[in-house]
Amino acid sequence: MLNVSANTLRAWERRFDYPQPHRTPGKHRVYVYGEVAALRDALRDGLSISSAVSRARESLRSDTHILVGALASFELERADGAMEAALAMRSVERTVEEVLLPSIAELARRQGTDSAAWAIGCRWATEWLRRAQRMTPPPARPGALLIGDATHDDLDPDAPFVRALELAASRTGIRVVTIPVANRSGVAELLTAVRPGAVVIAGGHDSDDEVARFAYAVRSAGGALPLALFHRHAAGGEQLSATPSLPELPSEATALALAMLDGQALPATRNRRLGS
Amino acid sequence: MNTARQLHAVPAPADSGPLSLFCGHCGKPPAEDFDLDAGSRVCTRCNLGLLLEAPESIAPKPDEAFLIVDRSLAVCALSRKAEKLLGMREVDAVDHHVTELLVPADAESQGPHALSALLVAAATDGGQEGGGKAVVRPADEFGVRFNARIGPCGPTPGALVVLANG
Repeated sequence: MLNVSANTLRAWERRFDYPQPHRTPGKHRVYVYGEVAALRDALRDGLSISSAVSRARESLRSDTHILVGALASFELERADGAMEAALAMRSVERTVEEVLLPSIAELARRQGTDSAAWAIGCRWATEWLRRAQRMTPPPARPGALLIGDATHDDLDPDAPFVRALELAASRTGIRVVTIPVANRSGVAELLTAVRPGAVVIAGGHDSDDEVARFAYAVRSAGGALPLALFHRHAAGGEQLSATPSLPELPSEATALALAMLDGQALPATRNRRLGS
Repeated sequence: MNTARQLHAVPAPADSGPLSLFCGHCGKPPAEDFDLDAGSRVCTRCNLGLLLEAPESIAPKPDEAFLIVDRSLAVCALSRKAEKLLGMREVDAVDHHVTELLVPADAESQGPHALSALLVAAATDGGQEGGGKAVVRPADEFGVRFNARIGPCGPTPGALVVLANG
């Protein structure tokens, strides 16, 4: 497409941080078609690679502007269209992390989370993510992740991130089960059926006490399981202070969650196990 | 009353003379095995610049610093030597107005407008025959002056500013 060598692409990646390829498990670079196509178009009339990269980035960012505009004006069909257009240029994971989540954050910043636009937009986003998750293939690899949902409801600002984590983890082929941390009754039967290899507490609304009771119930029924936090900014109490936090981006959090399932200790912080 | 518009003679675009090819990053001419018809203008020497063309009299020598601006006077490229000379990375300079990097340093010049006019003329209709000249200095820095050669470059129309120590 670009008529340049692999060395040139790697040089651009180092200097301009663009294009940003994914890595396969074998560490091979996989480029996103949309990024490369946007760069090809920009290079055609460009005076430098720097300015072409800048224009290519701008053209990719325009998807976010369109989505924010559509949600702010309650035009949900246009929002669906913006996501379709974004998906034509990116993978599902990158569409979620580069378009959907930034747009929702921008909507919250502009309109406030007490606005009608937030109510409509946030609910649309969580429904979009749930729909995408329903369309993922059935679990194809061993391992299950239990997510303790500590968000308030679908309008909690962390809710789209938790849904995005569910989607990202599901797309890796593992089984993902989410229950609110308050729904502890019958958790033993759930653990017997699912047999999760790790637990993630996601969201910052529910109190540390509530989360600790959930952790106790899981420990009592499932034994010591690796535990990590996701988007739990308020966690500062002693009960969870030693628990590792996953990165904010769902794809990065998923990668570490998979490492937990494989029995690896999480970096930087102590990997606390439930009941240990 | 005759309302017909009067026709005026307009100057023809300057005759650019023979053109020279150079890389917009390293400033070097294309490698001997470079094939322009292969569909890519990326410099195979440094991999970080596009090959541009400019009149031979204005095109930078390999050891000269230069920058490229477009018709809106936004910086499009900063050569490797210009990055060192101006203390700024190309990626930080791109899309900024040229006067954020360079301002006129000639006491007799007519201010930034004269420099802007030279650049716009070069980027749109080729500018003066043989290229324009200006004395410039880095913005917010005094005591450093450069003699600048200003002329057109392409293939996409742009203005080339070659800096030589004043």
